[in-house]
Amino acid sequence: MDSWSYQPTEDFDKGPIERLKSFPRHPDLLVYTLRLFTNFVIRAAMKIWHRLEIVGELPREGSFVVVANHSSHLDAAAILSAVPLKKVHRAFPAAAADYFFTNLPALAFSAIVINAMPFDRKENPKQSLALCRQLLDAPGHILVLFPEGTRTVDGTLGRFKAGIGFLTAGTDFPVVPCYLEGAYRAWPKGKWIPRPRKLRLIIGEPLTFRDRTPVKDDAIAIADALRERVAALMERR
Amino acid sequence: MNAGALDNPVFRGYLIVLAALLVVAGALIALLRFVFRKNVTHAWHAYRGWLIMIPVIMVALFLGREATIIFFTLLGLAAFTEFARATGLYRDWWMTGVVLLGIIAVGVLSLMRDPGEGTLGWYGMLMALPVYVVAAILMVPIFRDEAKGQLQHIALGLLGFIYIGWMFGHLAFLANAANAYNYILYLLFAVPVCDVAAFTFGRFFGKRKFRPNISPNKTWAGALGAFTVSMLMPWALRFSLPGFTPRDLILTGVIVGIGSQLGDLSISVIKRDIGIKDMGTLIQGHGGILDRVDSLIYVAPLFFHMLRWFHGL
Repeated sequence: MDSWSYQPTEDFDKGPIERLKSFPRHPDLLVYTLRLFTNFVIRAAMKIWHRLEIVGELPREGSFVVVANHSSHLDAAAILSAVPLKKVHRAFPAAAADYFFTNLPALAFSAIVINAMPFDRKENPKQSLALCRQLLDAPGHILVLFPEGTRTVDGTLGRFKAGIGFLTAGTDFPVVPCYLEGAYRAWPKGKWIPRPRKLRLIIGEPLTFRDRTPVKDDAIAIADALRERVAALMERR
Repeated sequence: MNAGALDNPVFRGYLIVLAALLVVAGALIALLRFVFRKNVTHAWHAYRGWLIMIPVIMVALFLGREATIIFFTLLGLAAFTEFARATGLYRDWWMTGVVLLGIIAVGVLSLMRDPGEGTLGWYGMLMALPVYVVAAILMVPIFRDEAKGQLQHIALGLLGFIYIGWMFGHLAFLANAANAYNYILYLLFAVPVCDVAAFTFGRFFGKRKFRPNISPNKTWAGALGAFTVSMLMPWALRFSLPGFTPRDLILTGVIVGIGSQLGDLSISVIKRDIGIKDMGTLIQGHGGILDRVDSLIYVAPLFFHMLRWFHGL
């Protein structure tokens, strides 16, 4: 008779808060249940409160990156609404570690509901990009990035930081440019709750940057190219 | 137990005793630390744990029957989750889910009224519940059409539900008793006192190991000392056990004195076999929830059925 073997879960010796902070997160029944439920509610709110309209489609298979303009806290939720519900556990919007992972309510929301990846934009962006890379290497993962690095203060599209270029240069990962329209009016920086304004998410054609190399010039070129694509989607409306 | 906890002399009594104990223990630790310059880190951590646990428990009890049942049900869910994480059963989401639903059912049955008799808590269904949960647990591998390793999952699911869910759930059901405060507070007080007595007697008189392969720090002196203290507790706290005859008081002493030590050792067996020290990290200085309630799980149903048999709820 085989003897039984016990393998405590990998995050066994961590407390609940530590578990939420650590990344990559280990699958957790309770977190998945809460995430499914809250995302269902968010989708409903997006439909009813913001009359979210999604134009175009995200790739169905493989790992890919979504880049979008960043004008409000609604952005990640709106983009997640374009992902099939059962895939939300494999979609990771990158969120500023210094903003979303410092106090408990924000941590719980970003880790459980949004499934955010903590992105250290100040101290250690390189390490965070390596983490992004690691996520993409696993099959079927969706990484949502806001290359402007912060929310716009005036509604215009800011410069894209070169990180997205370093991440995707010389790889086959498709990068999907998206433009979310209306979020700035719905929830500008500094306001407490979103106003019921219409949102429109325009999903562009995916690009790959196989022939680029991860050096500074190429990275900047990629970032600029992606920004142009997003700007073009903005014009197209 | 709904109407005004503070009007209840037993609740008030325990509140005063517990507050006094916290103050005395705190003063003692401070004395040892600052006057005698002793290392009290361990005691301080344990004390800090109590400093949080006691108010949380008292607030739940203060809020009445429903809050108490929900509190203990959440505790059971958390304790089982710790068990599932420690054994690795947590990777089997269906089995874990079935047991969690079973524990929620224990809570719901404690909250509702008996549809036939109209009394608080559906006792009959609570006693029948293991039938349904065991049936559901056995269905999990069948639905998956999988056999390899499933006996272990079934066994862990059964132990998790019957012991940590259902037996512990008796404590929540006690909230439906006419003298709910008396009984719940007695158990919540006497069981940790038994633990502390075992520790203290062991520390001062302990020589011979009690169960060295399971819990190397336990000694015969500790076990006997704890038993003696537990036999005296019902007499000392007679105000908390109204209408108890000497026979009932002796039974209560035996159940707490032996049961809480067996409960402690039962969880230790599991921890030893897995090869871990604590079941979790939630309560600083105490380990996990399961490390704290291990004795209560064993004692609560034994006390419950003794009480119900001789006095009714």
